[in-house]
Order: sequence, then structure tokens, then C-alpha cells
Amino acid sequence: MPKIIHYRNKCIGCNICFELQPQFWRMSMKDGKAVLLRSEGKKDVYILPVPENDTRQSREVAKACPVNIIKVL
Amino acid sequence: MKNRKIELLSPAGSFDSLQAAINAGADSVYFGVEQLNMRAKSVNTFCVDDIGEVAAICRANGIKAYITLNTIIYGHDLQLLRGILSEVKKHGIDAVIASDFAVIEQCNQMGIPLHISTQANVSNIEAVQFFARFSDVIVLARELTLKQVEDICSEIKRRDLKGVSGELLKIEVFIHGALCMAISGKCYLSLHAQNSSANRGACTQNCRRSYLVKDAETGDELLVDNEYIMSPRDLCTVDVLDRIISCGVDILKIEGRSKGADYVFTTTQCYDEAIDAIDSHSYSPEKIEDWTKRLSAVYNRGFWAGYYLGHKPGEWTSQPGSAATEKKIYIGRGSNYYPKINIAEFTIETGFIKPGDTLMVTGPLCGMVKEKAATLVVNGAESPKAVKGDKITFPFTTKIGWKDKLYKIVSVENA
Repeated sequence: MPKIIHYRNKCIGCNICFELQPQFWRMSMKDGKAVLLRSEGKKDVYILPVPENDTRQSREVAKACPVNIIKVL
Repeated sequence: MKNRKIELLSPAGSFDSLQAAINAGADSVYFGVEQLNMRAKSVNTFCVDDIGEVAAICRANGIKAYITLNTIIYGHDLQLLRGILSEVKKHGIDAVIASDFAVIEQCNQMGIPLHISTQANVSNIEAVQFFARFSDVIVLARELTLKQVEDICSEIKRRDLKGVSGELLKIEVFIHGALCMAISGKCYLSLHAQNSSANRGACTQNCRRSYLVKDAETGDELLVDNEYIMSPRDLCTVDVLDRIISCGVDILKIEGRSKGADYVFTTTQCYDEAIDAIDSHSYSPEKIEDWTKRLSAVYNRGFWAGYYLGHKPGEWTSQPGSAATEKKIYIGRGSNYYPKINIAEFTIETGFIKPGDTLMVTGPLCGMVKEKAATLVVNGAESPKAVKGDKITFPFTTKIGWKDKLYKIVSVENA
């Protein structure tokens, strides 16, 4: 199954991931950075398996991230 | 802090640069944390937990510390903002530099001294008077002429405009470093091109690239004198610093939180000497020439005096990246320190060095130190060359560790 990887530490809280794909992303009200919903992670690297038909949109999100901290594998 | 009327404010983008600024004679430094500052994308951004350490280092060295919180603030940033401000208050950071009204409001509520950022583009006395209700220092827009700066400063005195602290409002201006092709902070080029907002500290510097103009119909490329049509040269005012000071400004600021400790050290040292020279009436063409030469050695895109002299805009750079006359080449990291005999050991990770090379060490404790290696001790014995894997040792007064980096300085022609 494809997966989204979020390297959260370098997030600048621009909001674009949440804007493009609200089903997977939220902005944390605590530290202002993006949160990859239902993901599992440690040391600021979060991983979420996603269905095949969600990957196109996820790749667009990855491309839109200004600090390149979202990868889709 | 020196007992002088003018305050020299240097950038501290990392602990290395912070120490370099202190060693070079800065009266104060500014730094940013997390994503709410204009260098959010910078590799070495400090985090909230560093605020206490930065404050302690500055206090121990008798200089002031200002924190930049000058991006656009969104709703989801507000709690982080409050968290940062409570740390700022707790550790006694001297002031917050801000432009967003959320930060201004919060600082006022919490009783934190405030400086109005250049991002607010304050360009006239009425705007100064408006912001005087909230702040103690106003950083003027970088696009003003000296006459406009002077008029604002004299009008502050005439109107007796006081800041929140009850003291006469202070004026801060930029004296050195990168300029923006747009009015400072009002550029969306980076966002439109790469979805990366300069106003969230993530400028991708599209203006710094070379461009061609193409006729879409015929495919003909139009001739452009200079391909770098949007990249302004860097501000350098060391030759007009006396005129800037005589305008009545209080704080002189150097840009460059994303730049290395060597840049911070050299720029701070040159302007520190220039301020003292003006104070002691020994400011001379010979000294200006020396400072300009030293400033040209570190990162720059070619110099001009910005908008201060009222020259026509369009002083564009003619090359990508830096026009510095010297280049630093990374060699290796600190691997050991022998405190009893003050000997530092560095492991070479790439390249080579020879006796006679100028070496530079940057690190959180030493800041930036340059030394000429007369002889070279490699793996315990004198040697004509050190290469990858070798350990070199030399006398060094400051303790070093793995965070300290060793560079070789070469002139650009030899690079």
C-alpha cells in the first residue's frame, strides 16, 4: 500500500496540505504545524498508509509543500 | 555593551553566529525561533527551548537580545505565539520584533517590550506616531532616503514622541546586507512560483535567478542587458555611515540570519570599528577602503548604498550567488580538545590542507576564528599535507567539539 511520509520538524505551518487534502491533514492549534491524521510516527517522522486512489492527490500535496517535507512512496 | 550612543545590532541565525557577533563587538543581536520568523526555512533556526540559552549567553556578555516574530500570523499559530511569548517573558528577552497586529497586541498585554519590524514598512512620521503607542523602537522601511530618515528622526524629537517605556522613541535602520526586489516583505513572487511564501519566512529567492524574455509567438528571445533583472545588489553603507548616524538614528542593523558566522563576524567587526571611528573623528577614506575590502571578502552580491542616497533603483547584481572575494571550503569537524595544553584536534572529512593555508573554525563557543597554519601537525607528526581521514592538531584557546567546523579560506580566483 502506498504511504505518505511527513517530516514534521521542518514544517513552517503554511496550511497548504490542509487546504488541498483536508481528509488527511489538520493544522495543530498547539504548535501551528501540520498534523498527518491517523498517522503513526516517532522522532518527528509520521507515516500513513493511503489507498491507491488517494495517491495522485497526495503527490500534489507533496509537490505543493514549500519545504519539501511530505513524501509519497 | 559599550558605552556609546549608537547601538550595533547583528544577526544571530545560529549559536556560531551569536558568538561571532559577540566576539566582533555587537551591542545587541536578533534571532528567530520555530516557523514564525522571516528565516523559517533556514537550516539553523533556533527552537523555543533555545530561548533561555540565547538569553543567558547575551546577558553573560552584556549585550541585548531581540527575538523576531515578524511573519504573517494565522489562526493556527496563535497558541504557538503565546507559548513563545511566555518563554520570552520568562527569560527576559529584551524585546520582540513584530509586524503582525496579533503579536503587537499580545506583547502589549503581556508587558513585553516591542520593536516594530521593517515588515511594517513604516515610512512617515504619522505611522511612527501610530506605532509609538505600542513600541519603543521602530525599524524604518528600507526604501527611504537619508533625508526622509532624518526628517522622521528630527520630528520625533520635535513632537517629543515617547514609546511605551516612557523614553524617546528610537529609530533603527538597516546598514548592511541583502535587499529585496519588492518593498520589504511585500513580495509574493516566491509564493506564486513555488507556493513558498516569503511572508512565512520561506522565500525561495526567485528574484535571484537569471531570466530570459521570450516572444511566445515567434519563439525569439529578447535581448536583456543583464539576465539578473530582479536581483538587487546588497546594501553596504560603510562609506556613508557618518551621514546615516548624523540623521539621528539610534540602532544600526545588519541583515543576515541565514549567513555564516564568518559573515556575521566580519560585518559586525567592520561596522563596530566604523562607528567608533566616527565617534573619535578618525573616520577616513583609507579606513573606508579597508572596511570595504574586508566586507567584500564575505558573502555579498556586489554592493550599493540602497535607497539612502536617492539614486535611481536598478542596481542589479550581475551574477548568481555571492561575489565574495574569499571562499570557505569545508574540510572537517572538531573531534577532540585537550584543555590542559589548549590543543584542538580536527578530523578531515573532505579535501586537503597544506602549511600556509588560512584555516577558519566556526562553532558555538568560539564563534568564528581565522588562523594561518604556519606548520601542520598531522596524526601527531609534522607533515606537508593533510587529507581525508587525517587528524590535525593545533593550539586553540577555546574548547571545541563535534559542532565546530573547520574550513579552508581561499581567494576566489584560486577556488
